[in-house]
Amino acid sequence: MAAACWAEVLRAQKPSRRFEYFDPGTAAEVEAIAESIIPGDSMPGAREAGVIWFIDRALAGYDEDKRAIYRSGLASLQVKRAEVVPGSTTIVGLSPEHRTAVLKTVEDTEFFRLVRLHTILGFFGHPKHGGNRDAGALKLLGMETSMHFQPPFGYYDREEK
Amino acid sequence: MSPIRYRPSDLVDFVIIGAGAAGGVVAKELSTAGFRVVVLEQGPYLRAKDFTHDEVDVLFRAALINDPKKQPNSFRRTPDETAKRQQCIEYARLVGGGSVHFTANYWRFHPEDFRERSVLGAVSGADLQDWPITYDELEPYYSKAEWELGVSGLAGSNPFDGPRSKPYPLPPMPVKGSGVLFERGAKKLGLHPFPAPVAVLSQPYRGRSACTHCGWCEAFGCEMNAKSSTLAALIPVAEATGRCEIRSQSYVREIEAGHDGHVNGVLYFEPSGREVRQRAKAVVLCANGVETPRLLLMSNLANSNGLVGNYLMLDPGLIALGLFEHAVNDYKSIVATRVLHDFYRSDPKRGFYGGGGLDSRMDFPPASFAAYGMPKDGPQWGAAWKQGIGEYFTHTSGVLSHVSCLPMEQNSVSLDPDLKDAWGLPATRITFRNHADDLKAMQFLLDRQIEILHASGAKKVWTDPVEDVSYSRHLMGTCRMGNDPQRSVVDRWNRSHDVRNLFIVDGSSLVTCGRQQPTETIQALAYRAADNIAQLARRGEI
Repeated sequence: MAAACWAEVLRAQKPSRRFEYFDPGTAAEVEAIAESIIPGDSMPGAREAGVIWFIDRALAGYDEDKRAIYRSGLASLQVKRAEVVPGSTTIVGLSPEHRTAVLKTVEDTEFFRLVRLHTILGFFGHPKHGGNRDAGALKLLGMETSMHFQPPFGYYDREEK
Repeated sequence: MSPIRYRPSDLVDFVIIGAGAAGGVVAKELSTAGFRVVVLEQGPYLRAKDFTHDEVDVLFRAALINDPKKQPNSFRRTPDETAKRQQCIEYARLVGGGSVHFTANYWRFHPEDFRERSVLGAVSGADLQDWPITYDELEPYYSKAEWELGVSGLAGSNPFDGPRSKPYPLPPMPVKGSGVLFERGAKKLGLHPFPAPVAVLSQPYRGRSACTHCGWCEAFGCEMNAKSSTLAALIPVAEATGRCEIRSQSYVREIEAGHDGHVNGVLYFEPSGREVRQRAKAVVLCANGVETPRLLLMSNLANSNGLVGNYLMLDPGLIALGLFEHAVNDYKSIVATRVLHDFYRSDPKRGFYGGGGLDSRMDFPPASFAAYGMPKDGPQWGAAWKQGIGEYFTHTSGVLSHVSCLPMEQNSVSLDPDLKDAWGLPATRITFRNHADDLKAMQFLLDRQIEILHASGAKKVWTDPVEDVSYSRHLMGTCRMGNDPQRSVVDRWNRSHDVRNLFIVDGSSLVTCGRQQPTETIQALAYRAADNIAQLARRGEI
């Protein structure tokens, strides 16, 4: 039962040192996309939550069959980047505004939908998969985790009592 | 006592294929009645301690369900199309089956559900039929299921329910904010909301502890054994008889018949890939509304009239969500705490067949909400989306519809001519398009859902569009029950018309699908069928 609680996993979580699938350059590009999807502000974003480690592990394991979508999607995205921001060399090197503008041009592609889903799963999913460091998702959502809640659970059922 | 292990060469009384909502009931009933039983289950034998709150594994990596990477299916709308690989069916793949991962809404069908053809007449483009049995015949088994498994609810609170011989064994679960809002809105509109009957323990029951409201019911296994699955409530009883073996990770490929036409054994793959043949005097097939017809088609059995696999019915439910001023926190406790059946009955005045039940729920755990739950007219990523999600996740409530689905002969489960599963067996091919009246019923219910959300004070309401179903966890109708061997696959006791020692007991025998939430009816049918099978076996009539 305790294994189910995020807090337990978070205490045991050690930052990964080495990617299993990505080379560091590609990881930096993908991480920059993830950070545009969930940007850091007063609350942690994708980078701080370690989403890239989730994506790396996913592509090394369960989503091995989705590597080609990343490869071809990134290649097309680099072409778009050069069109939208002439003179730029990397996605991670773009300003946040430019990066968002570039990503808007691909937001209906299979590639972007997959990176968005992976970013969300890495950010909001169980920390054991490599992301959701320091329970950033819980803070953002205002969500408690526990095996034992007692009613009232929120405002309206309290009001009813 | 450690559970019994049979040898494949032992001639056991029954092999049950599938240890789910129905198979768990049949296993418990037949083993406690003194018979020797082997239950073959394709999935693993997990216990409460193995279940988690891991949304990635459970909802996105098929930890507890048929894995699309190993068990793909193909899909098409009509029989003249070539089916394409596209996952559209989901079932739980573990000991306990769907009763482990379901939401645990536990609704009886209404008396009229068993005789809609007589009441309403024929529906053009569909094959609406009466059941060969009545609500009154099934009623004792509904009560038995509720008391054996442990169901919380308030008898008499639903004015549209049929008569009951017993109250629920446990009082209703505490109402959540989503239930309070639903009740408020519904009562303003003159409707009749009632406490949801659920297969979750509101109090300790028969050695199991009560629900602690952790909030991870739908699609997850219960870590407290408080969800009344067959895994928690019945399979331990079956194993304690010393006559029932649960043989997990056994993927059945064929039911074998002898020259006399009677079945005499079951071929399955062990995890190693080795093929094993278990001998049996009779077989009870409980593999669900898709795998049951697939297995019969692969075995070329029980199909002299060619109807196995036809009349597939799926779940055309839609969610409507609303944003509220204060925190609802719907991520806590069970999924739905209030239900209404005011629109359940098919009313000819509406101009179409069908209806539905509604329940209160937000319906999304956190990652799924972030991925799919936010209003579609707003941003789906980036700074503004992120700023909104904190408020939306805790302040959203909703209403889900559970809608009728007409039986149509061309909607079917068949074997794909090309696509194979990881075991090299023909993959399931689904052919499915909703009847126009299903879509009208969905729209009618969606309008009511939106009205209720507005009446309960929602600041903003959003929904998905009404369209043909393309994904479902309710799999029904594919081995129809009936008195006429030309027009149905099993008789009124779930016995194959063609093969006297083969019984088919799961969602596939449903003649109509009520208004979804089929588990209680599947389990009541399983209790009734098992009762009869035991009597036949004792009299030597199988």
